[in-house]
Amino acid sequence: VTASPAVAPRPPRRLGLRARASVAFALIATVLAVGLSALTYELARRELLDQRESVARDQALDNALTARRGLIREEVNVRDVLEGLTASRSTQPIIRYRGEWNPRTVNFQVPDDLPTSLVSSVEAGDAAQQRVRVGNTPYVVIGVALPELDAEYYEVFSLAELQRTLRALAVALTIGSIVTVVAGAAVGWYASRRVLRPLGEFASTAQRLAGGELGARIEATGDPDLAPIVDSFNGMAGSLEQRIDRDARFASNISHELRSPLTTLRASIDLMTARKDEMPERAQVPLELLESQVVRFERMVLDLLEISRLDAGVGEVDLEPLEVAEVTCTVARGFPGLEQLVEVDADAEESTALIDKRRFEHVLVNLIENARRHGKGVVRIRVERGLGVVRVVVDDAGPGVVPTERTMIFERFSRGAIGRHGSGAGLGLALVAEHVRLMRGAVRVEESPEGGARFVVEVPVAVRT
Amino acid sequence: MSPVPKVLFIEDDDAIRLALRLFLEDEGYEVLEAATGEDGLRRFQLETVDLVLVDLRLPGMHGFEVVRTIRHTSMVPILIVTAQTDTHDIVGGLEAGADDYITKPVVPKELAARIRASLRRAQAPVTEPPSGLTVGNIEIRPSAGEVLKDGQPVSLTKTEFKLLCELADNPGQVLSREVLLERVWGYDYLGDGRLVDTHVYRLRAKVEEDASDPKMIVTVRGLGYKLLL
Repeated sequence: VTASPAVAPRPPRRLGLRARASVAFALIATVLAVGLSALTYELARRELLDQRESVARDQALDNALTARRGLIREEVNVRDVLEGLTASRSTQPIIRYRGEWNPRTVNFQVPDDLPTSLVSSVEAGDAAQQRVRVGNTPYVVIGVALPELDAEYYEVFSLAELQRTLRALAVALTIGSIVTVVAGAAVGWYASRRVLRPLGEFASTAQRLAGGELGARIEATGDPDLAPIVDSFNGMAGSLEQRIDRDARFASNISHELRSPLTTLRASIDLMTARKDEMPERAQVPLELLESQVVRFERMVLDLLEISRLDAGVGEVDLEPLEVAEVTCTVARGFPGLEQLVEVDADAEESTALIDKRRFEHVLVNLIENARRHGKGVVRIRVERGLGVVRVVVDDAGPGVVPTERTMIFERFSRGAIGRHGSGAGLGLALVAEHVRLMRGAVRVEESPEGGARFVVEVPVAVRT
Repeated sequence: MSPVPKVLFIEDDDAIRLALRLFLEDEGYEVLEAATGEDGLRRFQLETVDLVLVDLRLPGMHGFEVVRTIRHTSMVPILIVTAQTDTHDIVGGLEAGADDYITKPVVPKELAARIRASLRRAQAPVTEPPSGLTVGNIEIRPSAGEVLKDGQPVSLTKTEFKLLCELADNPGQVLSREVLLERVWGYDYLGDGRLVDTHVYRLRAKVEEDASDPKMIVTVRGLGYKLLL
């Protein structure tokens, strides 16, 4: 029986506090980064586009004037006029003279690639501007009408450069955003660790307290946010310690108060029992009753005192490497006829375990008495070697313990319903469980091959240094 | 020893004293009673006592003190009776010089058995080892029942003497606490190893040059004790 206190069912598993903090930080970082990036990109795009278009317009108007000067002469050579225009590799001037298209270069298909809406508004005598996409390349087309010459001037500006710039900007912004999100998550993780670190100390201190180290306290802190929590935790630990101290003192005093009268009772009864034959018969029966009840009462008191000592955590656990088989035989020798029932496996003969001799003897005596009282006597006691443990098995001839009661039976005052009636509402097995736990062992009840109860005690093997 | 052994019973609880006196008288002992340590010591000086039974929790002088005072002048067997099962009380009483202890509630038959064993130990002539044995500056003379250290007699209680003889009888051999309990105290069942430990401790203080660094009676961790020649 491992002494695990009843734990409230855990709420359904969800993300831990730190994970949640990280996710929250990452989400905030994402919103901020994406928002800022989008805004930056959009503003940059508009600004750059406006700039480019205004430069393009100026150049187109200049070129249109130059073209007009060229076309106004008597001898018109449109090709020469076109050659005389300012143009770079990213621009393409086009002159439509008397309905005929004259592009300077031919990578922009004229008039197929020119948007018809633009052409029609220029034909109507206006200047116009329009963005157009050919293939993957964006362009801006500017058209100027030269009505007195029956001509139109168009100029196509490639925006490929601008598009590359914007693409680079987008990549930079995306990388920036990703870095920001990751950094956000990391900050969340780190910050929550900082916040949770004191909790770790709380947990380890609470664990030490639970383990019986009653003086364990959390170190005082200068942090104004933590100080009240630390103070109240330490206050709680202090009052717990005081209370346990008081309980231990009480147990010690009550021990004296109860043991003394029991001594007198016991001695007086023994005196009377020795003179039983001199007593009238009607007095002999109550004397027997008295004797059996005093014995029972005494056992009860001793068990209660023992368990209150265990609860108070007084009394040291004196673990030493001892041969389990030997201790078992010594205990068995104390009961008539029991030693012959002890079987020791060959490999367990010299097995030593780390045990507290008195506690281990107590455990065995209680198991044997339990078998005698509730299990119609011990059938066999077997000492075996297990993996990392030495095992003592006590089988009885009783009706066994039903599976549903196999844990309950080690609880205090549990009185098994089936076949385990009679005297001694048990503290004995509760004591067994407590002692075994203190020796870092385990105890359980099973069914013996003959159908009786089988109590199994396991204690850790001593490692010889 | 007189044909009727005399037991001095120092106990402040009147009821216990009376009940156990009657019981012990039935068992064939003469019982001298004392309700306080001071009174007990007075009676001890006035009479010849074969065994002392002392409760530890006494008004006034503590049981430890009573044991120490008696042990100062006498090797009489002393049994302590205690309601405290803490190591502190039991080991304290044994270290003060008691031979054995019994816890309350006292089972009368067990008390009688303990008293018998103590008296037997105290009066039984030690037969083994037949010849004397000398370990360093310690000479054991079993027939005379004495131990000499550098030629000077060492005062040992009968229990201590028997323990030393038992160890000396098996030199170099490890004797477990259980074996020693059985051979020295005569207990077979559920003896307390602390009895052996405290007696070894006291024995060392008397025979070793430096009790904190024993050269003669050494501890074998987890196994027991052995005497080195």
